[in-house]
Amino acid sequence: MTAEDATGKGLSLVEKYYQDYGSRAGELKGEGKQIMGYLCAFVPLEMLTAAGFIPFRIIGDVNEPITKADAEMETIVCPLVRSCFDMWLKGRYKFLDGIVIPHACDSICRTYQIWQYTLNLPYSHFINMPHTTDDSSLKFYKAELETFRKSLGEFVGREISDQSLKEATQLYNQNRAKVRELYNLRKSSPPLISGVELAKTLIAAVSLPVDEATALIGDVIDEVKQRQPLSAPKSARLMVFGAQIDNVAFIELVEESGAWVVADDLCPGARESLTDVTPTADPIDGIAERYLRKIYCGRTYRERKGSYEDYMEERFGHLAAAIKDFKVDGVVLYIYKYCDPFGFEVPEIKSYIESKGVPVLYVEDEYSMSTIGRLRTRVQAFLEMLGSK
Amino acid sequence: MTEEKKPEERKKRRTATEAASKIGPMVKATIGGTVQAREEGKPIAYSFICCCYDEIIRAMDIIPVWTENYAGVCGAKRDAQRFLERAESENFSRSLCTYALCGLGFDAWREELGEMPPEAPWGGQARPDMMLGSGQILCDPRNKWYQAAQHYMPDVPVYDVGLPWPAYEHDYDYRQVQDYYVKYIVEQLRGLVEFLEKQIGRKMDWDRLSELVELADRTWNLIYEAYELRRAVPTPMGTGDAMNTMVPMVFMMGTQEGYDFYKDLYDELKRKIANKEGVIADEKYRLIWGGGLPSWFALADFNYFNSKGAVFPVETTYRMVEAIYNFDIDLSKVTDPLEHIAWRWVKYWTYWYDKARKRPGSHPDVERLIQYIEDYKIDGIVMHEAFSCRSWHVGLIWQLNLLKKVYKDMPSLILESDIVDISSYNEADTRARIDAFIDTLEAVKSKQR
Repeated sequence: MTAEDATGKGLSLVEKYYQDYGSRAGELKGEGKQIMGYLCAFVPLEMLTAAGFIPFRIIGDVNEPITKADAEMETIVCPLVRSCFDMWLKGRYKFLDGIVIPHACDSICRTYQIWQYTLNLPYSHFINMPHTTDDSSLKFYKAELETFRKSLGEFVGREISDQSLKEATQLYNQNRAKVRELYNLRKSSPPLISGVELAKTLIAAVSLPVDEATALIGDVIDEVKQRQPLSAPKSARLMVFGAQIDNVAFIELVEESGAWVVADDLCPGARESLTDVTPTADPIDGIAERYLRKIYCGRTYRERKGSYEDYMEERFGHLAAAIKDFKVDGVVLYIYKYCDPFGFEVPEIKSYIESKGVPVLYVEDEYSMSTIGRLRTRVQAFLEMLGSK
Repeated sequence: MTEEKKPEERKKRRTATEAASKIGPMVKATIGGTVQAREEGKPIAYSFICCCYDEIIRAMDIIPVWTENYAGVCGAKRDAQRFLERAESENFSRSLCTYALCGLGFDAWREELGEMPPEAPWGGQARPDMMLGSGQILCDPRNKWYQAAQHYMPDVPVYDVGLPWPAYEHDYDYRQVQDYYVKYIVEQLRGLVEFLEKQIGRKMDWDRLSELVELADRTWNLIYEAYELRRAVPTPMGTGDAMNTMVPMVFMMGTQEGYDFYKDLYDELKRKIANKEGVIADEKYRLIWGGGLPSWFALADFNYFNSKGAVFPVETTYRMVEAIYNFDIDLSKVTDPLEHIAWRWVKYWTYWYDKARKRPGSHPDVERLIQYIEDYKIDGIVMHEAFSCRSWHVGLIWQLNLLKKVYKDMPSLILESDIVDISSYNEADTRARIDAFIDTLEAVKSKQR
């Protein structure tokens, strides 16, 4: 009997996997599968899958005060990363066989050795992804991916073939196609799926093998299309922008305050889940191109080629496109304290979006339920302002 | 500026060496020189320390404005708060790098006024013609700061140099990957040279670059040898002074002036050792500054340590060189200057890797601490956790834990404050913690007697 048979499907299964995050990975571990933990959107999951691992996104817990992590990790680290580490120390991720950490931001890459040494896992690897995206950076990144491929191959005792990488690429592209289909359900008014439901689906999905995740998203799409439309009256359609939002606390707050969250630039979410790997003769070419150049994250430095206005379009044009596609009335920049990649971009993003005539609310948070009350007041005031426009 | 808003005036900190006492005027003259260079129309580049391009910009007669340095100066003069507040009003979080915030606040203000903000410390930070960032495996602000600064100076171009080095891994040795790292860095530096040539309308003088690279190599060796003299008991120079003498290391590399400074320092330290002249006459505790940038507004805390009989013969912070002749590659045979710089970079960052492999469970950062603890006869470790900087201040607790595991338990103290933001600092609390630490050191010493 599969987990699905036991607990239903679609949104009810999403709820189970969201509430009991990692439960499916734990089951699969019991069946003899190897589970590889990873942080952030910049670990090429195709590689892990091709090597026979089930990739598992490590997330924090906004409801759990960070306690054990403080004995090893400074409190100036991004609170999300601290929470992830805390959860591991508290035994939530005992089923993991190793960890892969990319060169994402300082909070992730400067803590690599803390994860590596404190957890004493059978496998650990750091992918040294360049910040820049020019051709020599892409070439370097490909070499890094080949080093990763060799390292994983040695760990599992077999070469990771081109064919297995191509098959894995196809699986993830199928998954991304389903996520795009899911996002399209937000375009109507009212949306067919709430922001909370969508976020829970994507969070549940990153704890599953890719084929199960794709099937789950497909089931959610079918269920949502067949049910009665969402009827609660809401005053505005919002986009939420931020780093890794691995819980629905903030999105729930926004929707409880009287708005739909119909678009996002988040992980898991639009930033990492919508763009395909282009199939290439050498599968590493397509994978490298996607992870280095197609994920629009503040950690990646994009070279400016034209005017400053062109540069803003190059870096943030995808936000303007989503605002138009999803008929967004306002944007919330939800930024964690100690987040350098996004923190430095706030004035530019705010100014860019406002130049399109769309109001922006910027809030800083600490990845803790203790701040929810304060955030609610800010969001409500923003919605009042939108309503009076 | 109103009287009550003027920064608190500080007395000049007492230094142990003449060399360190020269630094303040040198920095002031350098900053003043950049403002004058701007007026004279010379090409000016915002620059970061430790980005491999020192000799390149010197060879092309580009004037660097070291933006971290200017923020540090504002901090040391206790006049950074108004720039930090300006950055905050622009929607930059106060939890971000305060070097960057100070610089961005300053730039936003200067661009708004069209002139330097009122009473800008030491004449202010000159507007650049270009900004040179970098992508390493530390310090996000190195590729975010100047990008963000374009919001206020959209006409000023940025070049971001990719400068990775191999991580210390258990699944492979860095030598397996070093060749493609060096190749990449060379390509990145070549791109930088092309960018600079376009900006200033002049070609690189490659012979001159080679000469400056060779001068920098000699300077690295000289710094290493001068700093190694500090092993002497009593030590002739402490970390408080080293936070001054780092200036030529990171802001004047590839210049004769920088080399000459260390020649003078070397001679001065030799003289002091011969005369048995230490930082303090009666050393009771020898400490290592084992990590973290200092609070630039509170360098007098080093003097406070001295008043308690404690000295710092060594530090890991701003010791950004190793002896070139100790590398496992003969750099003199690498004649292409860009390739030479790239190999020096990779060999610097991997310098402690082999040593770490030899001690089960160790790590290069910890191995470096162990080596210094033994070479400099260290009794205790002091670190500083600056809240706004994740580059240099993450992993300190872990290093101390690992040191205890693979080597031995030692008295340690982690101070908490910031590099620039004085609102994070409480002198009475800091000194109470230092007092308690001294008590611990004394208790350990008593047991050993």
